[in-house]
Amino acid sequence: MAQVPVQSIHRDPQLFYWILFPITIVMILTGVLRHYATVLMASAPKKQDQKATREQRSLLHGINVRGNHHVLSKPSFTARRDALITAYESGAYLKNPDSRGQPPPNPMSDPNAMEGMMGMMKNQMAMVIPNTLIMSWINAFFSGYVIMKLPFPLTIKFKSMLQAGVATRDMDPRWMSSISWYFLCIFGLQPVFNFLLGSDNAASQMAQQMNQMGPQGGAQMFGPGVDPNKQFLAEAENLAVIEHHSVLDGVEQRLLAGIKV
Amino acid sequence: MPSEQELQISPIVQESLVHNSRTLYNLQSLTASLFGVSAGILGLESYSGFVFYVALSLVTAVLFYALRVAPTSLASGKPPLDTSRYFRGAYDFWAGGLMNGFAGFVLTWTLFYGLVTA
Amino acid sequence: MAPPILHSPVQLSPAAALALSQQAPAFLRSSSSTVSSSPLSTLLSGPEKSEQWLQYENLIVSCLRTGDDQAAHQCLRRLVARFGDDNERVQALRGLVKEAEAQGNGALEEVLKEYNQILDENDTNIPIAKRRIALLRSMGRLSDAASALVQLLDFSPTDAEAWSELSDIYLSQGLYPQAIYAIEEVLVLAPNAWNIHARLGELQYMAATAPGVANGLYQKYMAEAVKRFARSVELCDDYLRGYYGLKLVSKRLLNDGAKATRQTDDSEFALPGTSTLERLNELATARLSEIVRHSAASDRGWRGYSEAEVAAARALLADDASAIER
Repeated sequence: MAQVPVQSIHRDPQLFYWILFPITIVMILTGVLRHYATVLMASAPKKQDQKATREQRSLLHGINVRGNHHVLSKPSFTARRDALITAYESGAYLKNPDSRGQPPPNPMSDPNAMEGMMGMMKNQMAMVIPNTLIMSWINAFFSGYVIMKLPFPLTIKFKSMLQAGVATRDMDPRWMSSISWYFLCIFGLQPVFNFLLGSDNAASQMAQQMNQMGPQGGAQMFGPGVDPNKQFLAEAENLAVIEHHSVLDGVEQRLLAGIKV
Repeated sequence: MPSEQELQISPIVQESLVHNSRTLYNLQSLTASLFGVSAGILGLESYSGFVFYVALSLVTAVLFYALRVAPTSLASGKPPLDTSRYFRGAYDFWAGGLMNGFAGFVLTWTLFYGLVTA
Repeated sequence: MAPPILHSPVQLSPAAALALSQQAPAFLRSSSSTVSSSPLSTLLSGPEKSEQWLQYENLIVSCLRTGDDQAAHQCLRRLVARFGDDNERVQALRGLVKEAEAQGNGALEEVLKEYNQILDENDTNIPIAKRRIALLRSMGRLSDAASALVQLLDFSPTDAEAWSELSDIYLSQGLYPQAIYAIEEVLVLAPNAWNIHARLGELQYMAATAPGVANGLYQKYMAEAVKRFARSVELCDDYLRGYYGLKLVSKRLLNDGAKATRQTDDSEFALPGTSTLERLNELATARLSEIVRHSAASDRGWRGYSEAEVAAARALLADDASAIER
C-alpha cells in the first residue's frame, strides 16, 4: 500500500503574529479580567439578624458535637446530646417557631433566596458572556483558513469541529483553524492563570465546574427552600444514634507505648 | 486507609494536606507545560510525543519522591515508595500529574510544534 | 516585615511587646499610607495581602500596651481608610483605643455606653459585643460579663473564643463545673487543640483540689485530669504544660494512693493503676527535665518556651528531687 504523502501547506508566517498571538493574549487577558470581575462582583456577605444566625449556628453546633463527640467524656456527651435533642425537637432554635410544619415558602418569592440565586447567576454570567463574545469574535475575524498542524493524528470525526469554516474535503484533520486553537487555550491555560493570579483564582473554569459537580456542603445547607425544622429533626436523629466512645479511653497506655522513656 | 477511630486519635491536619497537594499540582502543571515546549521544539509527533510526556511525568514524580518525600518519609519508618506521610492517595501522587498537566502539555506542544515546523 | 508581627501580641512578654511596638515607625514608613484602588498601582505594588491588615491590628494592640498611642492612632487611621468606619472589626479596634486612653472610671462608662448604642442598632456585631464583655470584665463587673457572654453564646454557640472566655470568667468566680463545661465546648469546636486539652486537665485538677470536694468527685476529676493531660501530650509531644500537669496529677495521686478506693462505674473514667501512674510520672519527669535542660542551654528547636513556664517546671522538678533526698 502506498504511503499517503504528507500534506504540507505553505502558510504565511504572518499568520502567527496576527492570529495565534492575538487569540492567546486575548484569552489570557480575559481570564485575568474575569478574575477581577468576579472579585468585584462578589457581594459582601449579607447581614443576618440575630435569629437567623442563631438558627444556623445552633445547627452547626449540633453537627460539631456529633462530629467531635470523641473528645468528650461520656457524661458530658450525654448531657449535651439530651439537651440538644430536646431543643431541636421542640424547635427552640427556629427563626420563627410559628411556621413549623408548614411547607417552606417558594424560593422564588423569598427576597433572600432571590439574592442567593442572583449571586449564582452573576458567576454564571461572568463565565458565559466572555466566552460567547470571544467565540463570535474569532468566528467573525479569523474563520476560513487553517493556521496550524496538530502534532498528533486525529480521526476524521474531529474534522468538522477543527476545520469549521474550511470546506476542504481531503484535508488531513490534523490541520486546525483558529477556533480550535481557542478551544485548546480554554483548557490549557489553567497553569498560566495559576501562576498569574494565585491558585484559588476565579479564572480557572475547570475548578469551578468541579465545584459545581461536587457536593455543595456549605452553600446548600442553609440555602433557600430548605426547611430548617426538618434539618433540626434530622440532626436530632443523627445525634441520638451515636455510639459514644472517647479518645481518652486508654490514652495512658497509648502514651506509654508510644513514647519511649 | 486508617479507620475513623485512628484518625480521631492521631488527626491529620487538613490545611497541610491541601497545601501539599497544591504544591504538587503546581509542580505538575508547570513541568507539563515545559515538557510540551521541549516536545514541540524536538518536533515529536503523535505517539512519540505522548510517550515522551508519560515518561517525563513519571520521572518527575520519582524525582519529587526521591528528593522531597523520601528523606523524612523513610526516616519515619514508612516503606519505600509510600507517600502517605504527606499525601492522601498514592494514585494522585504518581499518576495525578498525567491528568493535571495534560491540557497544558497539549497546548504548548501544539504551539511550539507549529512555530518550529511552520 | 519581621514575622512575629503576624502573631497575636496578647501572649507576648512585656519586653517582646515593647520590641514589637518599637518596630512600628519603621513598619508604618515601609508601607504606603494610602490605599489606592486604581488597578495600575495594585499591579505595580503587588496584590494586597490580608496579612498586612493583620499586622496593623497586632501593631495597634502592642502599641497600646507599651503606651505608644500615637502609632496606634496612625495604624487605626489606615485601617479606617481601607475598611471604612462601619467595619465591625475596625469599630472594635477603635473602641479598644478609646478604652486604653480612658482616664478613670467615668470615661470607661462613656465607652461602655457607646458600645451599648452600637449594639442597639445592630445586635449581631460580634466584635463589639466581645469588646463590651471584655470591658465589663476589666471593670470588675464579672457577673454582667458572664451573662452578656451567655447571651452571645446563645445565638452564636460556635464561637470558641467566647466559650473559653466564659470558662475563664467562671473559673475566676470559682464555679468549676461551669468552667469545665465551657472549656469542653471549646474542645467540641477544636477537637485537636492540645492546649485546650491541657487547660481542661488543669481545670479538673483545680476542681478536684478545691476545698470541700467529696471523695467520689475528687476521684472523678482526678481521673479525667490524668487522661486530659495524657491526651494533650499525645497530640503535642513537647508541650510543657501538659507534662507539668501530668506530673503534678500523677504525683498527687501516687501520694494519696493508699486511700484510693477504686470505683467501677463504667460510665466514668477509672483511675489508672499505681504502676501506670508511676510510669506516667517517670515519663513526665524525664520529658520535663529534658525540656528544662535544653531550653536553659537554648538549643536549636527547643526555644520558644515561656520563661515563667520553664521556671515553674524547674521548681517542680527541684521539689520532687528534694522530696526524694529526704
